[in-house]
Amino acid sequence: MKDVYNQLFRTQNVQTGNDKTNSFLDTIQQSLAIGSWEVDLQTMEITWSSLTRSIHEVEHDFTPNIEEAIHFYEEGKYRELISMLFDKAVNNGEEFDAELLIRTAKNNLKWVRSIGFPILENNKVVKILGVFQDITEKTNTFKELEYKEKLIRTTIENAPNGMALIGLEGQIIDLNKNFCSYLGYTKKELMHTNVNKLSHPQDINIIPIHINEMINREKDSFECEKRYLKKDGSIIYCLLSVSIVRNDANKPLHFISTIIDITKSKAINKKIEYLLQTTKSQNTRLQNFAHIVSHNLRSHSGNLEMLLELMQEEIPESTKNDFFPLISEAVNKLSETIQNLNEVADINTKEKQDLESNNLLDFTNNALGTFRAEILDTNAKINIDINNKIEVLAVPAYLDSILLNFLSNAIKYKKENSIPVININAEKINNYVKINIEDNGLGINLDLHKDKIFGLYKTFHQHEDARGLGLYITKNQIDAMDGKVEVTSKVNDGTTFSIYLRYEAN
Amino acid sequence: MKQINSVCLIDDDPVFIFAIKRIFKLSDVCENFTVYNNGEEAIEGLTQTIASGKHIPELILLDINMPIMDGWQFLDEFTTMTVSKKITLYLVSSSIDPVDFKKAKEYELITDFIIKPVTRKTVIDLVENMIQNQ
Repeated sequence: MKDVYNQLFRTQNVQTGNDKTNSFLDTIQQSLAIGSWEVDLQTMEITWSSLTRSIHEVEHDFTPNIEEAIHFYEEGKYRELISMLFDKAVNNGEEFDAELLIRTAKNNLKWVRSIGFPILENNKVVKILGVFQDITEKTNTFKELEYKEKLIRTTIENAPNGMALIGLEGQIIDLNKNFCSYLGYTKKELMHTNVNKLSHPQDINIIPIHINEMINREKDSFECEKRYLKKDGSIIYCLLSVSIVRNDANKPLHFISTIIDITKSKAINKKIEYLLQTTKSQNTRLQNFAHIVSHNLRSHSGNLEMLLELMQEEIPESTKNDFFPLISEAVNKLSETIQNLNEVADINTKEKQDLESNNLLDFTNNALGTFRAEILDTNAKINIDINNKIEVLAVPAYLDSILLNFLSNAIKYKKENSIPVININAEKINNYVKINIEDNGLGINLDLHKDKIFGLYKTFHQHEDARGLGLYITKNQIDAMDGKVEVTSKVNDGTTFSIYLRYEAN
Repeated sequence: MKQINSVCLIDDDPVFIFAIKRIFKLSDVCENFTVYNNGEEAIEGLTQTIASGKHIPELILLDINMPIMDGWQFLDEFTTMTVSKKITLYLVSSSIDPVDFKKAKEYELITDFIIKPVTRKTVIDLVENMIQNQ
């Protein structure tokens, strides 16, 4: 063996041998991409073959000393390793064969296989002969494959979904952590079992059609919702995706299945559906109620009104007692209450599509016109600062009612013996118009009333006209138009209502 | 002579019938009333009246919500009948449902929609309107 190496690699500085042999051996070295080297321990001379030099990327006449040769090995573990191996070869006559990393003269990193053979003379190592091979490409390819394989393996293993390779007959070939944990089994328990055994009995028929279609090349994948039975017998809702893997000849090999646990969203969906159902039926009841109010109650209170009017006309003497005025008042109040309830019910059943573009300044002026008498009466000062180009998206009747309500409140709840000052302004904020109606009136104790200021039949002042309905209806109307209302107030200082309505861009 | 010879009331509510009759009488507008308690009775009654060649009422006050045959069903039926004389028909209902208002506009036969309760003023205005349009 050593003779062969001697023959093969001692190509230079060979005293015996002729040029022809040398060039032949060089050619062989080149074609095998294997260089050789030699260290004469007596002279400490080093000989590198031309290929060894070219692997090191040095000049063709370069001859290193021992230290320089060792220095080509990458600092750290590879340099330490070659030093150790070389020492053992010199001192103990041990051969070595190692894959190591060098840094070439041109500063490139290369993987090399270095083999050393000590030559003994009289039981003493006199020479080390060696072989030197560039294995960078092979090593890199191998390492890359190894890396990629590991990457894919860990990706599958740690994927956030359950993944499994399923054979054409349904047997589980491989599966990842999440597949096992979704179903509550260990990997060992599931390997090689049939995946159909895990299916919820009612869902077992979902799959075969798709499998056949994939095998018949009608499609490559499918997705469906499917229930599985966990080891503990409970149900897990999954979104299952299956794709088929075929070989180069298009022959089906196996399936890749991924499952996503959708049990939670299923449960939430069920809850939403239930709530929707409840809301729907409640809404229907509300509409029925609105109808009862609208028709049945109204017809009775209407009859009472008619009868009272007739009684007054036909039998005037019957009204001349303590009872008639009280009955009459009670009937009027009843009619009014029913009317109010109607308005409320009407808002809640109204559709948003009735929104129109309305000029805010026009509507404000119209509303103020309604209060001409009261304004004259109280000497009220009204300051309007609304750009005449501002249009709001609203149901006209609601916009009227909203403005009338807030303005009438601003006038109605004035401080005694003081002149009401009402400032009305509007500004555009994003897609909304904010309308501020500010008064210097009685104010509302918001600490006390904040939560119920817009509630039904809530009043905050001892005013004879306070019905506790205006703000409630107004708030409902604003809400129905996608708007909102805010209030700031201080007792004996005044109240500001800010109404946000949708802005209509021209 | 009264302003209106005969009024037909189609309504299932006896209190309303009582009251509306009194209002008409008090206002000195009419003293002849034909009363039907639902749409079907009205169709039968009016068909007989027409067949026997008697005068049919000039004014019909029709309620919407009634048992057996409601106001709308009555109108659908009544539209198909041949009536020689011009008849003024008012829908009278306590409904303030916009759907009903809208539907009422679809019937040529309906002069107007009156919301209960009906007052004397409503009746007087109604009759004036009717006489003007004759």
